[in-house]
Amino acid sequence: MKRDLEKLPGRPRPLIAAAAMALSVCALSAAEAKVTAPAKPSAQTTAKKAEVPVGEFTLANGMRFLVVTRPSQATVMGGFVAHVGSANERPGITGVAHFFEHMMFKGSRIIGTRDEKRDQEIMEQQEKLQDKIRAAYAGQRVRYRKGEIADPFDPASRTEELVKLEDDFKKLVDEQRDLMVKDEFDKIYTEAGASGMNATTNSDSTVFFITVPANKIELWFWMESERLLQPVFREFYSERDVVQEERRLRVESTPTGRFDEQLNSMFWTSHPYKWETIGWMSDLKTLSMADAQDFFSTYYAPGNITAALVGNITLDQARTLAEKYFGRIPKGAKPVPDIVTLEEKQLAEKRMNAECDCQPQVSVQFHTVPFEHKDQYTLDVIDSLLNGQTGRLNKSLVLDQKLASSASSSQQSLRWNGSLTLAAETKGDATPAALEAALWAEVSRLQNEAVPAEELAKVKNQIVATSYRNLENPFFLLIQLLFYDGWGDWHYLNEWSAKTLAVTPEDVQRVAKFYFTPENRTVATYSRKAGTVAVEVPAELAGLPPQMQQQVLAQIQQIGTIDDPAMLEQMISGIEQQGAQIPPEMKPALDAILNAARAQLEKLKTGANSGGGQ
Amino acid sequence: MRLLQPFLVRFLLLAGASGGVFPAAVAGATAPGPVVARPEQLTYGAFNFVVPNGDSFRHVLPGGVVVYVVEDHALPLVKIQATLRTGAFREGDREAGLASLTAAMMRQGGTERLSPEEFDQKADFLAAGIGSSAGATSAIATLDVITPALGEGLDLYFDMLRHPRFDEARLAVEKSTLLEGMKQRNDDAGDIADREWDFLTRGEMHYASRRITAARLAEISRADLAAFHRRTWGPEHLVFAVSGDVDATAILGELQRRLAGWKSAEPASPWPPQGPQFVPQPGLFQIEKDIPQGKVTIGEPATQWTNYADPEPYALTVMNDILGGGGFTARLMKRVRSDEGLAYGAFSQFGIGTYWPGLFEIGFASKNPTVALATKIALEEIDKMRSGLVSEEELRVSKSSFIDTFPRTFESAAATARTFASDEVVGRPHSYWTDYRSRIGAVTAANVQAVAKKYLDPGKLTMLVVGKWSEIEAGDAGGRAKMNELFGGKVKHLPLRDPLTLAPISQ
Repeated sequence: MKRDLEKLPGRPRPLIAAAAMALSVCALSAAEAKVTAPAKPSAQTTAKKAEVPVGEFTLANGMRFLVVTRPSQATVMGGFVAHVGSANERPGITGVAHFFEHMMFKGSRIIGTRDEKRDQEIMEQQEKLQDKIRAAYAGQRVRYRKGEIADPFDPASRTEELVKLEDDFKKLVDEQRDLMVKDEFDKIYTEAGASGMNATTNSDSTVFFITVPANKIELWFWMESERLLQPVFREFYSERDVVQEERRLRVESTPTGRFDEQLNSMFWTSHPYKWETIGWMSDLKTLSMADAQDFFSTYYAPGNITAALVGNITLDQARTLAEKYFGRIPKGAKPVPDIVTLEEKQLAEKRMNAECDCQPQVSVQFHTVPFEHKDQYTLDVIDSLLNGQTGRLNKSLVLDQKLASSASSSQQSLRWNGSLTLAAETKGDATPAALEAALWAEVSRLQNEAVPAEELAKVKNQIVATSYRNLENPFFLLIQLLFYDGWGDWHYLNEWSAKTLAVTPEDVQRVAKFYFTPENRTVATYSRKAGTVAVEVPAELAGLPPQMQQQVLAQIQQIGTIDDPAMLEQMISGIEQQGAQIPPEMKPALDAILNAARAQLEKLKTGANSGGGQ
Repeated sequence: MRLLQPFLVRFLLLAGASGGVFPAAVAGATAPGPVVARPEQLTYGAFNFVVPNGDSFRHVLPGGVVVYVVEDHALPLVKIQATLRTGAFREGDREAGLASLTAAMMRQGGTERLSPEEFDQKADFLAAGIGSSAGATSAIATLDVITPALGEGLDLYFDMLRHPRFDEARLAVEKSTLLEGMKQRNDDAGDIADREWDFLTRGEMHYASRRITAARLAEISRADLAAFHRRTWGPEHLVFAVSGDVDATAILGELQRRLAGWKSAEPASPWPPQGPQFVPQPGLFQIEKDIPQGKVTIGEPATQWTNYADPEPYALTVMNDILGGGGFTARLMKRVRSDEGLAYGAFSQFGIGTYWPGLFEIGFASKNPTVALATKIALEEIDKMRSGLVSEEELRVSKSSFIDTFPRTFESAAATARTFASDEVVGRPHSYWTDYRSRIGAVTAANVQAVAKKYLDPGKLTMLVVGKWSEIEAGDAGGRAKMNELFGGKVKHLPLRDPLTLAPISQ
């Protein structure tokens, strides 16, 4: 994972969601097309089956290639997917798949150093020291378990021995740096006019990609085969620090990041989707070079990798270059282990109630099905019925009931398993409980009422249009090929639309009833942490200076905490008596306080709570 | 019920787009033989990219509206983008937020002919993307539609542009949604940093940085929006970028017909838009947020385009690329990220403004105790750009990267149309693109140092950090840097603002 494009996978992400609903050239039969749209004769041809032409071949070592030729491009977008992600990890090495992705940019025996031999020697010495450092941290964890120190990784709690070991290690790092050609892998590509080099890791796969000028495509074959043939994991330990910064950036310093992580961990019972792709911090601090090398030899064998090229290159050219360069890589020594753990069926509702510096919100997540399961297509249609400006969630929760500032659905069918999540953020006085009830009402509607024909037609029209839009951008085409292959089969690209367009209103009801049950749901509610509540400025305060608005708001907040009606009544009569005597510019402030006191009194008298009523 | 007709895309994809078919460029590079030891030993066939001629796509409708049309029949899709000379710069001093709310409600609030629900229904059924938004110095309206729905899409699009309803009920929904967004202003440290950085560098009052308060939002009425639309949205200075599956002559006719009778907006406020008069205060500023990582921005005023033939902006482009713009090949990323592991990313940008000077900025996020060390390194790198020449290798890598990635500017019909339309909007000659590669190619190491000395003034730097001060102040465990060694040892702690009133919250 590098640069800005990457996402932390493991949870529904827009790119993936878009891809899932996206690519495939649609195959409506002529009979379905009741009304013919205004004709554009040059472009309009109905087709029973249309598809993106993808050329395919496999090398003797098992590595597969997908090629889409687009002669109008001045470039070729190239990439590969390793069929390995965080689901292939185990406790103790969580985060290694993603960390390993970082290490793949560190060069090879040749790329990245001026002295190949000395470079190797230094790295061996580094590992010996790191073994001692790891042993010392094992000691720190013992002290931590006994309650002697609060954090086994706190620099201030280090033993003298550990301080010395880490100082010694730093000297070796400096020595190696003197021999290094910094970030040479990146530099070679950059100078050649290649751009957008990046990679991304998710629970199921690790995807690498770059755009290269068409005349320099051989460079891509040289560089990518080189890093698969003889990678060297230089700067392993400073990169481990980078990944920790990445975790702080994406998980620990965002309003809901850590809660989302724990929710995910609660949602999955037995399956290794339990941990996020970034990994637990304590694992990130102890990952070893041996872990990484073991991981590479198991999962980066050519038989576990698929490459794809989209752009100004033919299938024959790609095959010639692939055999010359990637053909050098030996077959893997051992088979890639399968993931055998199945997700245990959820028996009872799970619920997390969190408080954070965030907008009050709710999410309801259901276990569904993995990639290419027969029900995936119906779940995708349900997702489309719910989303968008005229989708059911926006119409109901945002526009009609005015409970939510936003509401959406996210359907994810991943390699091993899937989920569908409904989410909404509150508006005004609405509570997460009220949102949950409104989301549940939409679930009931899906279960109990057939989808009207017009609404289903809208969704299908959008599928047709989106399928064209996703062919426009060659980079997106590459990403889809790699992601689909990572989830199990790139042919999904050409097969999905027909299967989705065949979904019927009966399918929608059946699937909604089967998966959207109370015992199959995990609900999270988020409330704003006390002290961070943003208070609405009553309209009557609009004209006051900001400082005075603040003072009045503080008083209104205080009034909201009074639970003694007598005290409020006394206060109201006091303010009313003062009313005539205060200067006119203060009147709005007094009115606002008075209104707040009356409202609070009313609330106490009617016994109303803030909604939801569970 | 109506379903849209599908198309056979397989053959269209192979047919190639408007840019023509490039020669099979790799043919010469696949010669048999052993794999060379290093990538520098590879040889490549020539690849001659000819910059498209902007004038060949330019059309002027009677009445003066300029339209760039770039045809591309590979897929049955059409994209249209209009750029108008309105935006926050046309708001009065007490009208903050009016431009963007007007633009948003043009799309959300229905039209004289159609209720908001009817408009949404039609747009969604056609799978048409229709949008409208306003920034500081311009507004855009977009249509993204499949060819068979072009006619109906254009009807909706022009209805939105010319006859917005600004429906009261929808306005209430939009305003209450905006209010919820405001409540979240202090939730994410990045949002706090963005806001306060704008205030520190352009002041709180300039239209490009000011933020709307809840009280101000409450005041905005339907009548205000309608008046702002009438006053500032009109066909003068209107520029269209059209691309995709259209016939140029036909689409020009369609646009002309739909523009007929559109009344001019009132005369614009002085053009070009006024830049901020604010002079940023140098020094270190901090805002408290209980997170494990400090978010840092460091910067100062930069420069603006005056003459596209002036060599200075090109030297600045290369200078910034070597310092921190070029990702992993740049100095900041090398030192802060890959040497020290202090941040996930460390970047710089040098803003060459259109109407007023942009900003030079460095940004990164580092765990609280290493903010000082990462900052110290960043400041050292600024000094190095000033005090020494960049290496020949750095210069070569940077320049060839700009030159060889340049063709991607025109990679799609939409990108080509928008690039040339944007020239028209900001007054940049099309020859900028023809000359770009040779101007970058002419930059020398001496030029780079000269612009670094002229524009990177350490004495003028402002730094903002959002994070937990008690952990940031002391610096790293190894004692390599402390905050009191930077910026003369002085720090100004800024209070957080109330998210709705933006008044400082006393602590």
